[in-house]
Amino acid sequence: MNIVIVGCGRVGAELAFRLYQHGNRVSVIDHSSLAFDNLNPDFRGHLVEGEALNRDVLKRAGIENADAFAAVTNSDPLNAVVAHLVRIVYNIPNVVARNYDPRWRSMYESFEIQVVSSSSWGAQRIEETLYYTEIRCVFSAGNGEIEIYEFSIPPAWEGHRFSELIPGSECQPVAITRAGTAILASEDHVLKSGDIALVSATLNGIRELRQRLARQES
Amino acid sequence: MFVIIIGGGNTGTQLAMLLINQGHDIHIVEQRPEVLARLHQELPTEAIYEGSFIDPALLEQAGIREANVVATTTTGDAENLAICFLARRRYQVKRTIARVNDPRNAWLFDEKFHVDVALNNAEIMARLIEEEMSMGDMMMLLKLRRGEFSLVEEKIPVGARALGTALKDLPLPENCVIAAIIRHGKIIVPRGVTIFEEGDEVLAVTDSAGARKLATLFAPD
Repeated sequence: MNIVIVGCGRVGAELAFRLYQHGNRVSVIDHSSLAFDNLNPDFRGHLVEGEALNRDVLKRAGIENADAFAAVTNSDPLNAVVAHLVRIVYNIPNVVARNYDPRWRSMYESFEIQVVSSSSWGAQRIEETLYYTEIRCVFSAGNGEIEIYEFSIPPAWEGHRFSELIPGSECQPVAITRAGTAILASEDHVLKSGDIALVSATLNGIRELRQRLARQES
Repeated sequence: MFVIIIGGGNTGTQLAMLLINQGHDIHIVEQRPEVLARLHQELPTEAIYEGSFIDPALLEQAGIREANVVATTTTGDAENLAICFLARRRYQVKRTIARVNDPRNAWLFDEKFHVDVALNNAEIMARLIEEEMSMGDMMMLLKLRRGEFSLVEEKIPVGARALGTALKDLPLPENCVIAAIIRHGKIIVPRGVTIFEEGDEVLAVTDSAGARKLATLFAPD
């Protein structure tokens, strides 16, 4: 794929290198050539110094032949505006913007742009890890509104039904792995100590689940 | 009219004072502490809203839902574009006006971001200077719309080519209309048969190409 990235800070440089390693042709735009120092020395791609709203700069980066586009600067207005413009002017189907300041996330909704809120997502993961290390998040949907968690069933819950452990509407069973074989879990599944459970849950749901697991142990 | 101005720099402040003097209601949004200190000395406190230009809660507090016009005058082109877009898309504001800072970004200031009127300072200045240089005695009275057309005034000098010629026989440029003639301090409504006299002041509405041709017509032979 031909991919254009605007912004070569920590996120942009990391993204550019990953995409390059997976065989994509990558162009990176930044208004300061110093930013290109953030790139891994092994990165090979097209570096364009200039303002991202300038038509000539976008053309030099190959926007007319791009399959995908990412705006990952530290300015939310710039990310939203440049993402919107490449979508409507250059008809690029696959456009993603980085939300830098979580306070301005709703702006992207008005533009109807796919957005990744790296700071709020990161903060949420750290918060979860601080609460309870035995529950691992294995997949995040959206910007972490719903996540899939993995944990092992403690001895105190042996013989209970799955529905007794999981807190209703904000948490749902996904799968149980017993002795290396996974099956789709139902609510009346009877648990065994050492089973590996997968659930999908909101942040509230997983908080409640953690409390239930902790209560039984004490 | 109720106008929300985003950005309290020199442009925003001038605009605010002008509109207040004309009896309009304005609210002005500013985020820079050093600019706010000055703003409070120049404008009534109840008109000033402090906080981020792109904070929807602040824009709503400033009354963006009821605004007739939103004018963005910040020094950031991305901010100005994003605000105009939100003003229309989210708040259905009828009219948006945006300042263009970098002329190279001027191509974005249209329906792509719901900008109804783009004010490109650098371009207006450059055009004015160009016209001042090329038009000699012709005077620009008024810029119409975005500066493509203007109302100009030219005094017919001694020995001008147009002297003694009827208006209908004058090879006027395409985008040019003679609006009025001032003769001995009185306005004459021009007709086809009106003949130009020495010392006439001619008012014309024209684009810039028309103005240059007009200047040649009225120049001494």
